[in-house]
Amino acid sequence: MMSDTPLIQIRNLSKSYGSKLVLKNLSLDIYPGQVIGYIGPNGAGKSTTVKILTGLIPDFNGEVLVDGISMQHDPQEIKKRIGYVPENAELYDVLTPMEYLDFVGKLYGMEEELLTARAMKLLSAFGLGNNHNDRMDTFSKGMKQKVLLISGIIHNPQIIILDEPLSGLDANAVIMIKELIMRLSKEGKTIFYCSHMMDVVEKVSDRILLINKGEIIADGTFESLKQNHADTLERVFAKLTGRNESDSETDAIINAFD
Amino acid sequence: MDKILLKLVSLFMPVLEKTGVDTEQLYHILKVKLLMDGRRPSAMFAGRRKATATSGKASTSWAVSLVTVLMGAFIGATLFIFKMPLVGQTVYFSMFMVLMSLTLITDFTTVLLDVRDQYILMPRPVNDRTLALSRIMHISIYVFRLAFLQALPGIIMMGFIDGWLAVPLFIVQIIQITFLSILLVNVVYLVLMKMVSPQKFKDIISYFQIGFSIVIFGAYYLLPRLIDVSVLSKIDLLHYTWSYFIPPVWIAALNEVLIHPGRATIITSLMAIVGVTVPLAGLWLVAKVLAPGFNRSLMVAATSDGNTSAPITPDVVRKSKFDIVGKIANLIAADPVENAGFRITWKLAARIREFKIKVYPAFAYVPIYFLYFSLNGKGSLNQRLEALQGAKGYIFLIYLSTFIISAILQHISFSEKYKPAWVYYALPITRPGKILSGMFKAVVTLYYFPYCLVISAVSIAIWGPAVINDLIFAFFVGLIYGILMALFMVKGLPFSKPVLVKQSGGRIVTLLLITVLIAAIGFGHYFLARWETLIWVLAMLAIIVYCIMLYYYKRQTWENIELEEF
Repeated sequence: MMSDTPLIQIRNLSKSYGSKLVLKNLSLDIYPGQVIGYIGPNGAGKSTTVKILTGLIPDFNGEVLVDGISMQHDPQEIKKRIGYVPENAELYDVLTPMEYLDFVGKLYGMEEELLTARAMKLLSAFGLGNNHNDRMDTFSKGMKQKVLLISGIIHNPQIIILDEPLSGLDANAVIMIKELIMRLSKEGKTIFYCSHMMDVVEKVSDRILLINKGEIIADGTFESLKQNHADTLERVFAKLTGRNESDSETDAIINAFD
Repeated sequence: MDKILLKLVSLFMPVLEKTGVDTEQLYHILKVKLLMDGRRPSAMFAGRRKATATSGKASTSWAVSLVTVLMGAFIGATLFIFKMPLVGQTVYFSMFMVLMSLTLITDFTTVLLDVRDQYILMPRPVNDRTLALSRIMHISIYVFRLAFLQALPGIIMMGFIDGWLAVPLFIVQIIQITFLSILLVNVVYLVLMKMVSPQKFKDIISYFQIGFSIVIFGAYYLLPRLIDVSVLSKIDLLHYTWSYFIPPVWIAALNEVLIHPGRATIITSLMAIVGVTVPLAGLWLVAKVLAPGFNRSLMVAATSDGNTSAPITPDVVRKSKFDIVGKIANLIAADPVENAGFRITWKLAARIREFKIKVYPAFAYVPIYFLYFSLNGKGSLNQRLEALQGAKGYIFLIYLSTFIISAILQHISFSEKYKPAWVYYALPITRPGKILSGMFKAVVTLYYFPYCLVISAVSIAIWGPAVINDLIFAFFVGLIYGILMALFMVKGLPFSKPVLVKQSGGRIVTLLLITVLIAAIGFGHYFLARWETLIWVLAMLAIIVYCIMLYYYKRQTWENIELEEF
């Protein structure tokens, strides 16, 4: 499935808020069918990268090419190819799932017939078939997350960007999403997966990117990262992002009781 | 109504298509936005939101429309003052402008500041032009609908007053005053945005909501009593030079010049010209200068996530203020659990927006009620005011302020974000009564006591120091009333319950009994007020009773508290 031309090309990407440089000359090639696990500590620049890639932040320095199209020149054409599931479950919760999906689908220019049928199928598949006409303000966090996931894939995009997509989901749903990610990647979809849950990233991704302080400090398969650094992704993460091996932090906590 | 408006918009679609707007997307964005507006609880009905949200889909929007039309009818009544030039219409358009601006600020701000758009619309392939236009059209539809509903009664009344020929002109006038309102609102927004951070901005908007409630309430009770229509209808506005500079006068001048050309002068004609040009110039200013700047600051507010530009307030300033609250808390509520209850109530009550919106208007209701009842007599305004000073009105005033305690206590245990209250149930608190008494003391110290202090100062200034004993007695009777209320009406810990769906029936009777008791004491007080020593004795008695009651209130156990399921 791998092809030689990268689907997403990021060249010298920099972004700053005021004097604070959040991304420092990021360069990156992502190939079709890859599942990228994108990890990093809080404030490392993870969500900024995602927001630039999804067109939420229009002004940045450097170059972002998706399918050969430049983000600066034709962001709309790129957005059509991307499905995005944002981190903080933002959706219009006074609507019903059907109304919401109908709305989102039509923004992608989908035909009503196809859209309704697909939305219904997806809702049933996610176990929300009976709730499709209930308003989402009564939904649990997991249910909203499912609707959000559906709204990210409803237009059958080439690239799927998931930002902490498992929050609020129960164990069964987590297993399902993990399987779904693998299946989608086999179908040739490119998946960009951001998470703090190392065990999940370890399992689903075939390439892991570790970002720290605005720079990518590790890039490779889990196997290759393991060889160079430590035996679990958690330890790799800890080692590379500079957490002390000693127990000084926990020492301080224990000592606070004295 | 929304469907008609959408159809209307669709008529322009082919034109818009040529300018690079995706009309299909525009249509769907507008459709969803209007749908959501219909389901969003209005600020006016904030208290009843839960009840309506579950029962019907369109009920809130219909109720809001109805209220808007009624308001329109209410202010429309002033149009019948038409004997002298300008007066009636000036009053009408002034009120129209105030109402519209306040509604826009209080009700539509949440829509404008909806940060979700950032995550929902931005990642979709919607181009900037479509997005910007959808925003403008959404606002325009909202404003147009509001203006239409609010003006509808006025338009019909105008038909009766000046004949059907005046109606088209009146509609033009409505459009002009709407433009002026938009200008005003934009200026308010821009000033606020320049002055305060986006986080503070929402707080300020909630103060506007509080102000709005007070204005409506006050206007309803007081305007008919304060304004003497027979005097008003004889006022010749043109005698007063200052009136030349009031925008509603310009708008009213349009009617003068075109419908009553006989009594129009050069000045009115000039004002009419200003009335046509200024609103249009204002709209241009909004579109070209104010709105882009507004959008920019909005974008900054939305993308900053609040963590990049958070100003760090020096700890020194915070500390000193904190200590005063802390010292008062330690003094009044010494027990650690009670102290915790005091401090948490103190802080949450001052910070929770929905609580403030519901409770703060009560502070203004008391003087408004007082004036309403006091001015109810006969004679001119001055005579009535003199009569007020002669009577023992202060007793009435101070008893009325128990209204504040009851307003606070009715809302104190409810919050939309009630979940954090799990902490009370998870911690080993043996006597929740301590938290409740801490809460009660905080409410009294934070709201009731300062309020009574102000009233006392005013009363002493008007009626002399002889009223001090009355004030003390009434203050403690108010506290006893508060404890009774708290004991029977407040069944939850502070901010620990979801906003109530229905009031349980039995409580209403209790509430009525308590109120009757206090009213009886109040009347008794009124008749006994001549015997100064007796009042002093009664005041001491009230203090003792209060202390005993507080002691028992503190001893409440978990059985007295309705638990909330989490």
